[in-house]
Amino acid sequence: MISLFKRYGTLVGFIAIVAFFWFNLPDTFMTARNWLNISQQISMLAVVAFTMTFVMVMGDFDLSVGSMASLSGITAALLFSQGYPVAAGVAAALAMGILGGFFNGFLVSILGILPFVATLGTLTMFSGLAFWLSDGKTIFGRDIPKTFSGFARGGVDIELAGTLALKIPYLSILALVVLAAVWLVLEQTSFGRRLYAIGGNYEAARLAGVKVRRLRMAAFALTGFGAAIGGLMYASRVASANPTQGSGLMLDAIAAVFLGMTMSEEGEPRVLATLVGVLILGVLDNGLTQMSVDSYIREILVGAIILTAVASSSVGKFRR
Amino acid sequence: MRISKTLKTIAGLAGTMVLATGLSMGLAQAASKVAVITPYLAQPGTQFYVEGFKAAAEKNGWETNIVDTAGDVAAVISRLEDAVNQKVDAIVINVDPQQVAAGLEVAREAGIPVVGMDSGSDPLLATNVTSNGYAMAAETAVYVANRIGGKGRVVMFVFDAFPPVQIRGVVADAIFGNFPDIKIVDRVTPDVQDGGIADSRAKMEAILAANPDKGSIAAVWAAWDQPALGALQAIEDAGRSDEGIVIVGMDANPQARDAIATGGNFEASMAQDFIGIGNKAAEMVGRLLKGETIREPVVYVPTTLVTSSNVADLD
Amino acid sequence: MSFLEVAHVSKSYSGAIALKDARLDIAPGEVHALMGENGAGKSTIIKILAGVTAADSMAATIDGKPVTITDAQESYRHGLRFIHQELNIVPHLSVAENIMLGLPYPRRFGALVDWRKLNAMARAALDKLQVSHIDTRIKAARLSTGDQMLMKIAATLISAGDNMARLYVMDEPTAALTGAESRKLFEVIDELKQSGASILYVSHRMNEVMEICDRVTVFRDGQTIATRNLSDTDKNEVIHLMTGRDVKDSYPPRRAAKGEDVLLETKALRTRQVRDVDFQVNRGEILGIAGLADAGQSAVLLALLGVDRVQAGHVTIHGSPIAAQNPSAAWRNHVAYIPRERRREGLMLQRRIVDNINLPHLQKLSFAAGFLSRRRERRFADALGKKVRLKSGGMNQACYQLSGGNQQKVVFARALGDAPELLLLDEPTRGVDVGAKFDIYTLIRERSAEGAAVVMTSSDLPELIGMCDRILIMREGAQHSIIETDGLSPADLLAKFYD
Repeated sequence: MISLFKRYGTLVGFIAIVAFFWFNLPDTFMTARNWLNISQQISMLAVVAFTMTFVMVMGDFDLSVGSMASLSGITAALLFSQGYPVAAGVAAALAMGILGGFFNGFLVSILGILPFVATLGTLTMFSGLAFWLSDGKTIFGRDIPKTFSGFARGGVDIELAGTLALKIPYLSILALVVLAAVWLVLEQTSFGRRLYAIGGNYEAARLAGVKVRRLRMAAFALTGFGAAIGGLMYASRVASANPTQGSGLMLDAIAAVFLGMTMSEEGEPRVLATLVGVLILGVLDNGLTQMSVDSYIREILVGAIILTAVASSSVGKFRR
Repeated sequence: MRISKTLKTIAGLAGTMVLATGLSMGLAQAASKVAVITPYLAQPGTQFYVEGFKAAAEKNGWETNIVDTAGDVAAVISRLEDAVNQKVDAIVINVDPQQVAAGLEVAREAGIPVVGMDSGSDPLLATNVTSNGYAMAAETAVYVANRIGGKGRVVMFVFDAFPPVQIRGVVADAIFGNFPDIKIVDRVTPDVQDGGIADSRAKMEAILAANPDKGSIAAVWAAWDQPALGALQAIEDAGRSDEGIVIVGMDANPQARDAIATGGNFEASMAQDFIGIGNKAAEMVGRLLKGETIREPVVYVPTTLVTSSNVADLD
Repeated sequence: MSFLEVAHVSKSYSGAIALKDARLDIAPGEVHALMGENGAGKSTIIKILAGVTAADSMAATIDGKPVTITDAQESYRHGLRFIHQELNIVPHLSVAENIMLGLPYPRRFGALVDWRKLNAMARAALDKLQVSHIDTRIKAARLSTGDQMLMKIAATLISAGDNMARLYVMDEPTAALTGAESRKLFEVIDELKQSGASILYVSHRMNEVMEICDRVTVFRDGQTIATRNLSDTDKNEVIHLMTGRDVKDSYPPRRAAKGEDVLLETKALRTRQVRDVDFQVNRGEILGIAGLADAGQSAVLLALLGVDRVQAGHVTIHGSPIAAQNPSAAWRNHVAYIPRERRREGLMLQRRIVDNINLPHLQKLSFAAGFLSRRRERRFADALGKKVRLKSGGMNQACYQLSGGNQQKVVFARALGDAPELLLLDEPTRGVDVGAKFDIYTLIRERSAEGAAVVMTSSDLPELIGMCDRILIMREGAQHSIIETDGLSPADLLAKFYD
């Protein structure tokens, strides 16, 4: 009973938040359309947070995802502006994400630099690179092909009873695909199990024959890859690329994973729990805006909710 | 375990109370609802627009919701969607409309008018309220030409990468080009990473060194205040403040006003009426709420030339 | 009159009974042994005395007066001091600072630390214990485990105010110590006893208990079975009390003669920690490695596992040189390893038993593309759990909930998972109760009889003699000799460690 409550406390909190908004915004909150809006609004954060789970499973984290997201947007937009096709720009941006991630992994796993320091360094490097490539400018307008920016506005039309048409945004679908992929890799493959083992006890995993260095590199590369996808989604949504636009994603992504961690008995990150963390952040943004609550109050609330969730799960641990 | 349960309950209650307070404040009047959405509320100019808008909105009895996304442009789209979903009566933005087109389209579909405050014109906006950059540049350029008697060598500081500043340079080019005895020594684009003062100063120092003769530089025309301040520092440092070099900037920021007030080389700048832009935006919203259509895609708010004679009167 | 008496102690964890009406009394100035198999309730009563865990019910008296122990501060005020298996030292601070930790440092000029006086106070504390070989100025990390323990004991002598230390609770203090270090500890225990303090000595090591303790209390299944004067009892009776059965033979008999073909061979092996290591192990043979603490016993195993790089010489298995030098390649080559520090190097304590057992074997439990088969996983772990006689609440239980002996069985199950041909065991029975020890010995024997070569270290000399065919003696990182165990006595073996 106790462990049930501890495990599902955050989920209960999430449901309470939803119920609260439903009660106070009876007409507009609990509508299919609003939830599709929310799913689209959180899609970029979701992708970055899901893939952030890879490194956090090992007890590491990656501060550079925000600037990697910016850099990926800039990379794609620069190639677009020089006349390359959309596919080439997207591929280059994703390659940039994987390379940057491998570089993080190299610093952490091979050189043995603490993840905090290593990714703080690459945060600055990636950001500088984005500024340098773009000359500090926002790339927008005609430089961004319609096929690219159109992706974020498009979706799959669903017809109900032949009349009511709902559009499921491509961004939301992409986030779901990433969720499924991360879940499969983390929960259903030996690769994922080994990452959890590294997080459980690095030394024990190494002595039991797990290739800890290689796996750590791979996990960081996957996180970088996810950051690049998130950055492209962002660039598509704002139909422009700016060397700082992804920077807000990093803290929110880490916060989402932490919120999710409070839901697991062992305090381990789970990607489905990360989804709940992302949803909490997204629903608060959406609901509080609709209720005309000051955006600064929202930030105070979000901080307080994270602390409450983490505090309650660690209080439980301490008294065990 | 009991402790954590209590904690959760308390947090839940506290959250509910905060939310409820916000709610009761928000729903007190059943008046027109207007959302003001910007990523830039932390910047001084935007604060004044919003202040001006809020003051006018209060008089009209509107319920305004100011949303700051703290630099996040994609979040502006999200908040536009939320505001539309909330069925507000009008929306005001202070961000490049091209970047938030996805959100503006949602507003258009829902038939909710969006007014820009100094955000650039766009077909998706009902109108955009701003200062006239062309007129401002013309005014300072003409001021320079007149002060140097239509004759002499002028240094220009421009920034063509940023469209609102680029138009200022184009206008100044045209005006100086109209005086056959005015020569442009250099058209400098300073590095703005650190705000622009330091690099402009370095660039000006180099130009002064290359033109050592007294009177070899008659004036400095800057497209905004920071390069003008940098140039001023360079001239004072080189001991050439007595040559009568005329410096003009634009935007009349507080540092520029201080410099103008001392009566030195920095002689003039243009003051935008930020509060006035906010007021005007509110006026436009008022007209839209009454069902009028606004024909002008851009509505200009007058600006003021600031010199030592009127700088003290400005607030 | 007793110094401390606790009675009617009961405690249950979410339904599972840890202590049931247990009782313990300790006289002033005595060394009192507390014995019992793992899970008998020893750890629980220690945690209750330390104020870390609250008993469901308890009647405690000190000097005949009723007291309560609600938290760690109150326990401290009663004069109870705890020397744990895992020492809480601050490795980067000096010995003197570790001794003075938590107390106000002596000052000069009101603000500056008076280092000279600090060192003198620490020195005085060590001198009280007749410990002269520890320099108070060096960093605590540089001390051996035994010296770190002496340092922690010295720290308890410097008491704040009137809270004199009156009872030392030592939980498996010699588990990480060498023979010589243990001897030094026993001398210190004697000093403490002379000064009037009592010691509650928790250990699995029967010989030590017989040697240094005055009385023994035996716990079984959360209950106090008996308290005896050690002069009135013997080893067999104590074991009988602990297990509820007689243990005639501590070591299972050899089942087959050792094989003829050489499985493992090293020639002039050198790593950063050891040199001149030269031996052969046949199939079905068990080789022990012994020596003083840190003489390189564990480091030989680390070289064979590929953790420490081979700098000179070579290692062959089946006559062919070992390939890539890393643990991953070793496990693939059917080399299995039991680390010395079960909790730090062996287990993922928060994770499930099945995850811990299957970790090195995930490859063969997966379909193509690395997707795991839950069914194969469960079957594999179930079979191994049965094989090692693991007592648990199911394969999905988290490892931290298991007793020490069962945790070690999990590590064994992992090692035996892929029919290892070479078993490297570093202190395989450390911190394991008598019953589980016998199970582990049986497992080693079984695998050996199936043709595996075994290399094991142990600081328990009778264990080495009882289990091994030959013993390799290490001295200061170099191989000294290899001796046959037939007719060897622990005293003979110990003598080989010294010049």
